[in-house]
Amino acid sequence: MSEAWRYFLLLFGAAVVANILLIRFIALCPFFGVSNSLETSLGMSISVIFVMTMATSVSWIAWNYVLEPLGVGEFLYIPTFILVIASLVQFVEMVIKKTSPPLYKAMGIYLPLITTNCAVLAAATESVKPGFFTKLNIAYHYGFVESIVYTIGVAVGFSLVLILFAAMRERLELAPIPKFFRGVPIAFITAAIFSLAFMGFAGMFGL
Amino acid sequence: MDWSLVWKAAVSLAGFGILLGAILAIASRRFHVEVDPRVEAVLEALPKSNCGACGLPGCEAAAAAVVAGEAPVTICRAGGPDVAAEVGRIMGVEAGPVIPLVAHIHCRGGKSVSPLRSFYQGVNSCRAAQLVGGGKACPFGCLGLQDCAEVCPVNAITFDEEGIRRVNVRKCTGCGLCSDICPRGLIEMVPADARVFVRCKSRYTGKKATGVCKVACTGCRRCEKACPEDAIHVSDGFATIDYEKCTNCGECAAVCPTDSIQVWVPHDEHPEGGEFVVPEKKKPAGKKRERAGNGDGDQGGGEIEE
Repeated sequence: MSEAWRYFLLLFGAAVVANILLIRFIALCPFFGVSNSLETSLGMSISVIFVMTMATSVSWIAWNYVLEPLGVGEFLYIPTFILVIASLVQFVEMVIKKTSPPLYKAMGIYLPLITTNCAVLAAATESVKPGFFTKLNIAYHYGFVESIVYTIGVAVGFSLVLILFAAMRERLELAPIPKFFRGVPIAFITAAIFSLAFMGFAGMFGL
Repeated sequence: MDWSLVWKAAVSLAGFGILLGAILAIASRRFHVEVDPRVEAVLEALPKSNCGACGLPGCEAAAAAVVAGEAPVTICRAGGPDVAAEVGRIMGVEAGPVIPLVAHIHCRGGKSVSPLRSFYQGVNSCRAAQLVGGGKACPFGCLGLQDCAEVCPVNAITFDEEGIRRVNVRKCTGCGLCSDICPRGLIEMVPADARVFVRCKSRYTGKKATGVCKVACTGCRRCEKACPEDAIHVSDGFATIDYEKCTNCGECAAVCPTDSIQVWVPHDEHPEGGEFVVPEKKKPAGKKRERAGNGDGDQGGGEIEE
């Protein structure tokens, strides 16, 4: 298996086959909370891709250079990751506030919101413990680049589904839906059907 | 028990905490953005509920806008006069009275004056009808479905037998939800003391405008010339009143050839708080005096049945 193909599979698998929202059902709160309108979900998606990638890179370093050598990773990874990711997001927020006000305006309100969003923490955790949330116990460790690629995959999968779903919900607003299903109930039903559809990706390329 | 694990955990977590805290402390110095201290003071005075009624994303943006001079000190609708007074004190200006707003619908082209081009049959919503252009010949007029009435939290929007939406100014709280939802942008939030209204937003001019609606604003600019205060201007084919300049003299309504400018006369006993009248015509004699609108304010079904 060539290197490039391996990275593609990693990316594709993280984004679509094991989609964080529809297959693993992590981060359902922003999934239903932000998907009201296409505009906010776009802003959210960009911020999530940005924050997740950064979060994983620092978590990977914290895990591989501090927690694992000290042997405390097994029970200390959640507080450490939250601490590291929250500080990093704060830091980056300060930097872009100073250096790029337009970027800050575009992402500003989402950055603190998703600091340690469950999706961000899940991506960080899975990038150091592959298969953790699927209870697969894969005895394999991602290298730094691999973990970044994996996280970008997760974030892209998140964004893809969030944007698709927001577009869908904007249409549902106008659809003749029975009164009792309006709003969140129909969104959950739609999400379930979406999820069924995404299960069809399992098995692609023999994954 | 392995005590080394305990101190390792404590040291690593404390180490992370101290290190990251230090980095953040240095960064907050290095990347400090000079913020006007008044922004924080104003933010302190605002309700901080981030309701968004001011049209800005949250109270912080509102505070920044106030300090930058882009927004009036009375920007916070949720806070009311108290907050406005406090913000005014911080900014060193008199807040003045918070002028309440009411919704005004810029269309009066009912069934009898504005013909239908086609029959719209579909989702009973203006936003949906707008996607296919609606059924009315006038592409700018009120679609007469129920989006604004549905979104109104106080049921202030009703519709008359002409199929045109009306605002009950007694009930209207000026929240602006209807203004946001109207797909044709016909609903404007106007000061509650405004009396003269252009009741049309047709971008068509002249014959083209009257061809699709008998009471359309033709963009003739007579009102512009009649206005002593330079408060009314024709742009995009229809007249718009600047309520900061308007003195409610009604001169424009008196010269309007299609009666699309009308004067709102408040009546205390009136169920809707008043009604539109057309003042005595000045120049073009022979225009019959007409009373537009009625006051029964029925709540009927919500669809134009043709």
